[in-house]
Amino acid sequence: MKTEDLIDALAAGLEPARPARPNAALLAGAGLAAVTAVALLLGVRPDLTQALQAPTPWLKGLYTAALTTSAIWLATRLGRPGVDARPAALALISVVAVAALWGAVEMSLTPPDARMAGWLGQTWTICGRNIVLVSAFAAPLVFLSTRRLAPTRPTAAGLALGVATGGIAATAYGLLHCGEATAAFVATWYTLGVAAAGLIGAVIGRFTLRW
Amino acid sequence: MGCCVVDKEAELKSLMLRGLDGDPVAWRALLSAMRGALTPFFKRRLIGHEADAEDLVQDCLIAIHAKRATYDRSLPFTAWAYAIARYKLIDHFRRLGRRHDVPLEEASVLLAEHTVEDGVVRRDLTKVLSILPLRQRRLVEDVRIGGFSLAEAAARNGFTEGAAKVSVHRSMKTLVASVKPDED
Repeated sequence: MKTEDLIDALAAGLEPARPARPNAALLAGAGLAAVTAVALLLGVRPDLTQALQAPTPWLKGLYTAALTTSAIWLATRLGRPGVDARPAALALISVVAVAALWGAVEMSLTPPDARMAGWLGQTWTICGRNIVLVSAFAAPLVFLSTRRLAPTRPTAAGLALGVATGGIAATAYGLLHCGEATAAFVATWYTLGVAAAGLIGAVIGRFTLRW
Repeated sequence: MGCCVVDKEAELKSLMLRGLDGDPVAWRALLSAMRGALTPFFKRRLIGHEADAEDLVQDCLIAIHAKRATYDRSLPFTAWAYAIARYKLIDHFRRLGRRHDVPLEEASVLLAEHTVEDGVVRRDLTKVLSILPLRQRRLVEDVRIGGFSLAEAAARNGFTEGAAKVSVHRSMKTLVASVKPDED
């Protein structure tokens, strides 16, 4: 096709364009997929109604939701050519830093002989694996939600979307299934699970986010 | 040359905004202007494979069209278009299986090269510059065409940075006066 004809064809079919954003319905669907995956594969904790009256599960949820929000912001900025993504990357790092600091302070206030038990909890060996497992069900919808964007760095954008997916999965996991309650546990094992989801997302993004 | 890039940016941005609102005439004008800017941009970066430039230009125009919603109205148009062009170039090299580093440049190269690349303009430029003494001429070329920073260009030509600044300023005045004999 001649370039002249191409330009004519593109201009002829022009329609007004609204600013591209991640698709909120698909992101909500990803949340639903994560809740379903936790309920069906891992099971809802038996004391759920009682547990949700305490602040701990909500604080965990606040951390993982903050991870999700800043990661989606990062993916959105990476998805707009020429936009500086650093503010969003900084926000994401800050969220992790606050959680790490909180965990460290908590551990320093814990008697030394109770520290290991508090840090490792009952489930440190399976926490990250479960978050990655649940992420697998939410990931397709999260990646589809940014299809209108144009990431010029597919690997970085995949990393951001992977972290967002991990954050969604960890939120569902932390609220519905996991009974761990120390900040140090969440700051370590949840973060590692979400980071693993992010790394897998980076690999996926490298191949699927090209346009 | 600096002023032309600024004017060009303002013109392209207004076309872009009208295009986003659905104006096909503005959109056609924008795509044509981008074709003019992208062709030398790609040709220059595909030494030995200039034939691929046409395909890349088309690819890039389609991307500009399909991804126009990712443009943020509060930001410069040139930065957005340059990021797309650079991405398409990197993707092209990757597809060929070549590891090729595409340095991150000032987005304005997308517009600047359009004027410098043209053979006629280039010849005129050489002629105009020839009225300057050699040392001043090299300095002006480095700063205004070669893309060196003032400090780098000063060091290359043995000026202090302050002296280089004054020299470039005076040279530009001389050059402008030499090409506009009818004014004043």
